[in-house]
Amino acid sequence: MKNKIMLIGALTLLLTVVLFMAWDMFFNKPAEKANPYAYDLKSFKAGDTALNLYTEVEHFSPKMTVLHGIAVDQTDRIYLCGDDDVEIFDHTGKPEGGFAIHGMAGCIQVDPSGRIYLGIRDHVEIFDHSGRQLDTWKSIGDESVITSIAFSGKDVFVADAGSKVVLRVDPSGNILKKIGEKDPSRNIPGFIVPSPYFDLAASRNGELWVVNPGRHRFEKYNPEGDLLSTWGVSSMAMEGFCGCCNPTDFAMLSDDSFVTSEKAIERIKVYWPNGVFRGVVAGPDAFVEGTRGLDLAIDSKDRILVLDPEKKQIRIFALKTIK
Amino acid sequence: MIRIKTYKPLRPGGKKRKRLALVFLLFLLTTQFLNVYGVQRFPKPEFESGYFQPETLQPAGRAEMLAIMDVFFLVLSLAIVTWLVLKKRSRTGVFWMSLASLAYFGFYRQGCVCSIGAIQNMTLALFDKSYVLPLSAIAFFILPLIVTLFFGRTFCAGVCPFGAMQDLVSFNPQKAGPKLNTVLGLIPYIYLGLAVLYAATGTDFIICRYDPFVGIFRFNASFGMFIFAGALLISGIFIARPYCRFLCPYGVLLNWVSRFSWKHLTITPAQCIQCRLCEDSCPYDAIDMPVTGKNPEIRTATLRKMILICLLIPFFTVLGGWTGSQLHETLAGVNGKVRLSRALLQPAQTTGQPESIEITAFKSSGKPVSQLYAETSLLLKKFYTGGWVLGCFLGLVFGITLAYRMVTTYKTDYTPNKGACFSCARCVDFCPVTLNNNTPKLT
Repeated sequence: MKNKIMLIGALTLLLTVVLFMAWDMFFNKPAEKANPYAYDLKSFKAGDTALNLYTEVEHFSPKMTVLHGIAVDQTDRIYLCGDDDVEIFDHTGKPEGGFAIHGMAGCIQVDPSGRIYLGIRDHVEIFDHSGRQLDTWKSIGDESVITSIAFSGKDVFVADAGSKVVLRVDPSGNILKKIGEKDPSRNIPGFIVPSPYFDLAASRNGELWVVNPGRHRFEKYNPEGDLLSTWGVSSMAMEGFCGCCNPTDFAMLSDDSFVTSEKAIERIKVYWPNGVFRGVVAGPDAFVEGTRGLDLAIDSKDRILVLDPEKKQIRIFALKTIK
Repeated sequence: MIRIKTYKPLRPGGKKRKRLALVFLLFLLTTQFLNVYGVQRFPKPEFESGYFQPETLQPAGRAEMLAIMDVFFLVLSLAIVTWLVLKKRSRTGVFWMSLASLAYFGFYRQGCVCSIGAIQNMTLALFDKSYVLPLSAIAFFILPLIVTLFFGRTFCAGVCPFGAMQDLVSFNPQKAGPKLNTVLGLIPYIYLGLAVLYAATGTDFIICRYDPFVGIFRFNASFGMFIFAGALLISGIFIARPYCRFLCPYGVLLNWVSRFSWKHLTITPAQCIQCRLCEDSCPYDAIDMPVTGKNPEIRTATLRKMILICLLIPFFTVLGGWTGSQLHETLAGVNGKVRLSRALLQPAQTTGQPESIEITAFKSSGKPVSQLYAETSLLLKKFYTGGWVLGCFLGLVFGITLAYRMVTTYKTDYTPNKGACFSCARCVDFCPVTLNNNTPKLT
């Protein structure tokens, strides 16, 4: 009896196989299906809204049509660079001035004394608040593309996406150290930077954090270029980073939490200082599809300022208040 | 003189073989999951200037020397298996030889060109003069048929990797019964007919498209094909060699040829002593039982049957042909050009679907739609003729099968059914008769 049941089951399975072949041959119509090879990230963009910890509290539009970088100084003044220009706003988004520059600045940073540093392709130019040029550093190299600047004590750190290296320089622009070059003897894998997005930042206690976008992780270095620690995981899940090179930009909150922005799946997330996923600032539905280069800055109230180059806006996000 | 040996209830080494097969299958299943861990990387990196996307390259064809080596191994395998079956009468030898064939023709050669798929190469070469038929494809198609004509289906026994694969899982085979065998046995004819039709019209190589084991041989089975192969192998636990018996289109040709084989495997090496030990030994229901004919049929009844058969066969042939011709549009629906024409005739807004990749590709090719429609019209005519031929063939097969069921063949001994027998030599182990120098050999 048992064998008979097994035989009937096996025959049913066999007939199912035959029927599947017949169905697939005559009734499955691939011509009417959408392109299966289409670049479609919809399924990955769906997120859990319960993870959203932040809300957009305000936004404003600068005059510039091409936006590249954002920075906030110690008085919460906002600085933008883009179209051969620098624009300055107060913390509410009210214009406070600006000045023209020669060349397109890719990144902007303001040091504690209020000096404005601009990364203009292969070199750095320094201005004061009125637009007076204070200094121009010599070119780092023909292949260089400066994408980020950070300060730690007297040191200035410059991210060079072209050479895939971080430079520690003195206030005069002299290179003191190259950080992150591939060196197996020191357990340094080297930066993988397939696109011109290569960010770094110094934490409140002076630690240098650099994104290694091709490896989907953050790496911490000391001023001597020793790799101290890393975090980050490659994953299509919300907690991880995916794509060819992500995150593209990041900034650090007052408690040294990380705020990260990504391209392809346009989103901004926040991680605890130890790299554990904390929540979402803004999901893909908050951005125009294809947005890239969402530069970030943090003000003294830990509000997150997002430069949205597609909407041509500065969007400010604050933690949701608990009722 | 006939000597009777002690009866062995189980095949020698049966349990050991099963355990070995189980370990092998577990290994095989484990390796199928390796490609699951592939991580999708998107979008393309924005490379700096100086980088060029490399052109897509087609893999080179198999080197001529290696193709000759394949044919050499095919001939060698056929020779060894035939010798093991007919001369040594060794099931164990056949089993090990089938494992070797599985390793070489299956996993090393990755199941291509196989004799089953070569039907399509041969057909396409007959209908499309521009198609260059590889010599190895001819050899893989012809050689097993020639060997079968002389010695029965020894190719199925120990050379075909598909058969070997299924033999490994045949743990608890059950008898399906003659009626079910007859009904399910019609499927390979339909499959063969369709495969020839689609190859002749240049539509598709459907045998390759629905090749259940090639994904396993290449360790790259898609999820659907993995399930397909898995379902066949699971059913193969209880129905021995389900693909070979109820699907294989090449099996149809081998079946026909084997019926006329010059020297086929026999269950007993000498005279059958009617001990009935072999009665249940064949997991493929390929042993014909003795029909002694104690109650011969009345002459008038036999005559009536004959007249009925003579009428039924042409009736089913014509009916099948007509049905096939009426279904030519459905049959043509498998063809890519026909499908594309239909999709172009159906505006996108009525389907509510996004434009298909085929339509996008066609539009970007710059080919005029009128030319496509003209080619489609020609194809439909071919399918009309092909539908008639296919229908006639299937009607004829159905008629002959029905007639065969009506005719009683008288036999005195237990003999392998020459058409259905895979010459696997399982039954040999069950026969207690041994041959000594004085025993007259069977002819």
